[in-house]
Amino acid sequence: MSASLAPECNESKERYDTCFLRWYSDKFLRGSAQTNDCDSLFRTYSACLTRALKDRGIDNMVQEARNEAQETDAEHLVKGRIPPS
Amino acid sequence: MKVFSCSSDFDYSWDEVSTGNWQKYSPWNKKAPHVIAVDTLSRTVDAATGILRTERLITTKQESPRWIKALLGDCETSLVYETSYVDPAAKTVTLCSHNLTWTNILSVRETVTYSPSKTSPLTKTLMTQRAEITAIAGGWERIKNKIESFSVERFQQNAENGKAGFEMVLARAREVFQEERNSTMAKQAAIA
Repeated sequence: MSASLAPECNESKERYDTCFLRWYSDKFLRGSAQTNDCDSLFRTYSACLTRALKDRGIDNMVQEARNEAQETDAEHLVKGRIPPS
Repeated sequence: MKVFSCSSDFDYSWDEVSTGNWQKYSPWNKKAPHVIAVDTLSRTVDAATGILRTERLITTKQESPRWIKALLGDCETSLVYETSYVDPAAKTVTLCSHNLTWTNILSVRETVTYSPSKTSPLTKTLMTQRAEITAIAGGWERIKNKIESFSVERFQQNAENGKAGFEMVLARAREVFQEERNSTMAKQAAIA
C-alpha cells in the first residue's frame, strides 16, 4: 500500500487499506456488498488524517475542492454510463 | 490550453485492473517515485446507483528544471485531489483529478477510465487518459506556451512510466492471488 502524507497515520491507513482491498475484491465486485465492512477502521484513519490536514494548514484547501466535486458527481455518479471507446 | 490524451490495453481482466488500481502507487510500483502519498478522504457506495465513490488526496514530489524554478519558484511538492467512480455492474472505473497546489500558475485536469476491452472483454482492459493543461501565469504568450509544453512532456513521461509501473503491480497482485489460492487449496487438502 502507499504511504499517508502524515507518517503518524501510516499504521491506521495500512489497516484500513488492507481491509478495503479485501472487501472490494471479495464483496463489492461480486455484487454482494451493501455496506462497507471497514467503516470502523476508516473512522480511526480518517480522524488521524483530518487532524494531520489541519496541523499542516491544508484542511481548507482540501475542503474547498471537496465542495466543488458536485460537478464531476453530476457527470459520473450515473448508473450504466457508457464507457468511452 | 494543451491536451494530452492516450489509450492503451492491459493484458489483465477488468476485475484485476480495477482492484490493482487501488494499489497502483504501492511499493510494488517501482516506476512512480514521484508519488509519495495517497490518502483516502471519503468512500461511499451510492445507494441509488451502486457506484463506489472515493475521494483521495495524492501527494507528489518531482524535481523541476532550473528554468521552471526560476520562473515559478520551487514547486516540487504538489497536492492532487481526485474523485473516482466504480460502477461494478457496467464495469467502469473513472478517475477525475486536478491540482490543488500551484493553481495560480497551472491548471491540470485529468480523467482516466478503465473498462473491459471491446475485442477481448474477459481478458483485457482498456485504459483511456485525457488531461487538459492550462498555464495561467499572466503575461507573455511564449512563456505560457513553454510552461504548457513542458507540462505536457512531463505528463507524457509520467504516463509511460505509469503504465509500466501499473503493469508491475498487476503482475505481482496476480502472483499473490495465485499463492493465496494454492495455500488455501493445500490447507483444504490437508483437512480432507
